[in-house]
Amino acid sequence: MTSFWNSALRGVALAGLLLAVEPVHAEYLRIQLRVYGLDCELCARGVSASIERLPGVKSVEVSLKKGMLDIALAPGNTFKMSDLRKRIRQNGFRSMEAKVTAVGRFSGSKFEVLGSGESYDLGSQASNAVTPVEMTFDVH
Amino acid sequence: MRDILSKVKVIVCLLGLVSVPAWGDGHGPAFGISTTTLGSGDASVETEVTYRSGVAMIGPQFSYGISENLQLSVSAPFDINQGEHPVDRFSSTMPGIPAAEVLLAWRFHHALTGVGSRNEATLYVGGLTTTQHLLRSDGPPLQRQPGIYGAIAAGHITRRYNIWAGAGYQYFGKWSSGIVDHESNTLLTSLVLGWRPPFLDREYPKPDWRFFWETTGEDVGQAWRAPTPPGTVVVTDHGTPPPPPPNSSGIVVLPDSGGRSVYSGPTFLCTYRSFAFQGGVLFPLWTQLNGTQPSERFRAVIGVSYFFLGRHK
Repeated sequence: MTSFWNSALRGVALAGLLLAVEPVHAEYLRIQLRVYGLDCELCARGVSASIERLPGVKSVEVSLKKGMLDIALAPGNTFKMSDLRKRIRQNGFRSMEAKVTAVGRFSGSKFEVLGSGESYDLGSQASNAVTPVEMTFDVH
Repeated sequence: MRDILSKVKVIVCLLGLVSVPAWGDGHGPAFGISTTTLGSGDASVETEVTYRSGVAMIGPQFSYGISENLQLSVSAPFDINQGEHPVDRFSSTMPGIPAAEVLLAWRFHHALTGVGSRNEATLYVGGLTTTQHLLRSDGPPLQRQPGIYGAIAAGHITRRYNIWAGAGYQYFGKWSSGIVDHESNTLLTSLVLGWRPPFLDREYPKPDWRFFWETTGEDVGQAWRAPTPPGTVVVTDHGTPPPPPPNSSGIVVLPDSGGRSVYSGPTFLCTYRSFAFQGGVLFPLWTQLNGTQPSERFRAVIGVSYFFLGRHK
């Protein structure tokens, strides 16, 4: 009998622990961003180095010919798009349109990238899903 | 104490070697005035070795990006060997004479017009003081006077082509009462055309080569000397006659100072990782000297820069 209660207690404790540490799916996963003004290898290196210092950034690939940054992000990050745009501005360049893959929740037509405090109006792409979903969308 | 001093000397020498060739801004043309500035929080150390009129100079420089449009540079070029060479401006960010200079660059116009292209304009303001006596064939060296420098440049930059046009003025003022020695003031203009050949238009991260054709124009004013007290024996370095007597204003205008010239020639810039290498040669297209000061057959520069990137506040 005692062993039953011990097992039950252990089960409840484990379930509670699992609920408590349930990962929050709240992050940007990938950003492909066009940048204006990048013309040389040194400029690209400066932009790349400063973005790599942002929290959650896993890798940065730069295409000088296309003026594109491809940024991969680690799970569980608190990365903000506004910080990225600020970094690019501090390097002397201008961030333009982007293709963003992120996990977040819908609130009407607004897609809130959880944990970042940033949201995007996705209009027709809006969903009634209650749980977090992964979306890829264009930002202008 | 002696150990510490010797270590400091070694570090200074290493910095000097590391920054060997670059009177430019480290990632622009070698001679002409350009518009590029560092990113916010970025820094660079540069060194150039220049040669003209038989005199080699080494020019260490440190630059820091206060913001993406505001850059502070400190440079201290000095003569490696003794000799007479013109008093003028070597480039937009470093004097062409032995001097210590503090220079602020403000990129006041910055239009990012497309992928790899931008239009920009930069204003330079700085102050300098000479650090070594310059030899003169027309008498003893002039007494040092501080100077100021201002310049403006505009440019159009793309992945394939660059063009910069600029003008600047270096002025040695009269900062004390009475008649004092005066170095030549210099008006500097430049036009730089840059080109990245298609076969070298490669993706990051690969060595990035650019080639420039730079043309500079100078108008160097006359220098003058405060009259020597009566009874002073003037001994010249090269056995030339002593300077003429003072004019009605009480100054002795040096007949061998000043002149106009236009130089033109090819230069290159290669950037890779955190380094930039640049160099080039300018040849005189036209010169009109006032006297018998040494004319220049060519001006050469070679340099290297190291950049500390991505260090934002």
